[in-house]
Amino acid sequence: MRDDIKTIQIANEVLLPEVVRMTDEGHTVTLPLRGYSMRPFLEDGRDKALLKKPAAIGVGDAVLAEIAPGRYVLHRIVAIEGDAVTLLGDGNLTTEHCRLGDVKATAIGFYRKGRATLDSTSGRKWRLYSWLWTRLRPVRRYLLAAYRRIWLKLFKPI
Amino acid sequence: MKTKTGFHLRSVLGEHIIVAEGVENIDFSKIISMNDTAAALWKNFEGKTFTQDDMVSFLLDEYEVDEATARNDIQTIVNQWTDAGIIE
Repeated sequence: MRDDIKTIQIANEVLLPEVVRMTDEGHTVTLPLRGYSMRPFLEDGRDKALLKKPAAIGVGDAVLAEIAPGRYVLHRIVAIEGDAVTLLGDGNLTTEHCRLGDVKATAIGFYRKGRATLDSTSGRKWRLYSWLWTRLRPVRRYLLAAYRRIWLKLFKPI
Repeated sequence: MKTKTGFHLRSVLGEHIIVAEGVENIDFSKIISMNDTAAALWKNFEGKTFTQDDMVSFLLDEYEVDEATARNDIQTIVNQWTDAGIIE
């Protein structure tokens, strides 16, 4: 009976519906983040998101959305037209699309770099970063490339 | 000893997992999985005050196991639960 307790990694298609069930019940959920699609602010395996059930969904929000059955992303909303939502990861160049009903949870903040204090999405840091990064979208391709090829070679993730 | 409040056993697609649940927040960066035996023990003793002997008796009642093995296994589980911070 050696492996009675272990920390496990659960596949997204299993874990995320459970997360959504809990936010729907009214809990907030702390979720470790995977992937590089929300660079430069959020880093794979390092940061965590604090999620809650969406109330008012707006452009600029970072949300957990089911973009295809069983396929979830935590990306930023870049456009809403009627029921049609366009998403774009901060570290991505291509958008995804879903319906308003597919937006399952909203990020109310992020725990970065192992810190216990939350960078709230209503706080100054996130809003300033969001304002700047959104405006830099025309040159994002070059910024991300420079971040990956130069910055990360010389320094740690931002 | 007793199980700490805020740790609840859930079943997610056949896996027994313990998730840290605050009144408000549920932390998926702290997930502990248990096998069937550990989960049965947890279910039986959750919310109660119990001793290691109580756990041994439970194993002896529920499973085909001799006492020495049961004691050994319970010691392992108690150590693991202590390390994981889910009992106090």
